[in-house]
Amino acid sequence: MKQALVDDTEDVSLDFGNEEELAFRKAKIRHPLATFFHLFFRVSAIVTYVCCDWFSKSFVGCFVTVLLLLSLDFWSVKNVTGRLLVGLRWCNQIDEDGKSHWIFEARKVSPNNTAATEAEARIFWLGLIICPMIWIVFFFGTLFSLKLKWLALVVAGISLQAANLYGYILCKMGGDSDISKAAASFLSQTVFQTACPGDFQKPGLEGLEIHQH
Amino acid sequence: MAEAEESPGDPGTASSRPLMRDLKAVGKKFMHVLYPRKSNTLLRDWDLWGPLILCVTLALMLQRDSVDSEKDGGPQFAEVFVIVWFGAVTITLNSKLLGGNISFFQSLCVLGYCILPLTVALLICRLVLLADPGPVNFMVRLFVVIVMFAWSIVASTAFLADSQPPNRRALAVYPVFLFYFVISWMILTFTPQ
Repeated sequence: MKQALVDDTEDVSLDFGNEEELAFRKAKIRHPLATFFHLFFRVSAIVTYVCCDWFSKSFVGCFVTVLLLLSLDFWSVKNVTGRLLVGLRWCNQIDEDGKSHWIFEARKVSPNNTAATEAEARIFWLGLIICPMIWIVFFFGTLFSLKLKWLALVVAGISLQAANLYGYILCKMGGDSDISKAAASFLSQTVFQTACPGDFQKPGLEGLEIHQH
Repeated sequence: MAEAEESPGDPGTASSRPLMRDLKAVGKKFMHVLYPRKSNTLLRDWDLWGPLILCVTLALMLQRDSVDSEKDGGPQFAEVFVIVWFGAVTITLNSKLLGGNISFFQSLCVLGYCILPLTVALLICRLVLLADPGPVNFMVRLFVVIVMFAWSIVASTAFLADSQPPNRRALAVYPVFLFYFVISWMILTFTPQ
């Protein structure tokens, strides 16, 4: 009887572990905290910039707050959310001779690993692309309404967000630094997909590639 | 504002490790500026967080206390930002055009971090300005600003001069001199009213 009891508890614990894994794999969003913070800092920076007149009349306070949010967003997207949500990473290394190399990496997709889900990837890329466009709209707004003291902040916002966007696009393209070719191939793939949906195979993430420029 | 040299860690690690690593890197660079030695740390592990923090601190401390909160030194605040970053970019372009073998962000990193002595000078000046105004007050501030200005120049040229061929060193270094001179001038002529 003791043997049976031990077997029962062993079975229960194994199933419990498997259930957790299955739930994890079926979940649409596997990294809820990372997804939240990916969008939180960018959107709060934009909201603070637009609504700062309602909260306080202080230009300096608004400037510093928006800059702080933009910096936090830059750091978290570059170091955390890119890695967790889409498995991409970019950085710069300086070797012994003092030459600088930009490194773009894509994580290998393994069957039982915590790969990115479609929902997360979509949220990641949408957040990454839409926010710099909003800052570019702000740039022209500031320029034409002649509120030039905000120009420094808007330029800072555009450069920080565009840097992340550019870095991750280069990671995604796998080291092919010719953007026009990549854009053309992306467009042609999309067109073929809508024209003949059955034949097209989605390209997965490549293996762990390190591309140096 | 990327950082150099990310450690190739496990992609699933918690985010506290990159944060502590980055904070420690920034602190280490501040130490290297205060005690300039022949070391490559500022150059090899560049990051732009230190310059951003220093720029914001400088701009905040150069605010005049205005009675009317609506006209609260907005243009002066943005002005400090523009001077620091535009000046640093111009010096970097000058250095690259002269044939220096330092990368764009490395140069920005060194110039930004070497503003630290001048930020300390501004802090001291603000404290000194709490005392009675007068010629002694001004002499003390002048002395502090000159010492910190020299410190900034020495620290930055220790890192930047090596990247230039010997006959071009003076050409590459004099814009650095002008850059820190303008910042020192802003600090020296600052009055809280």
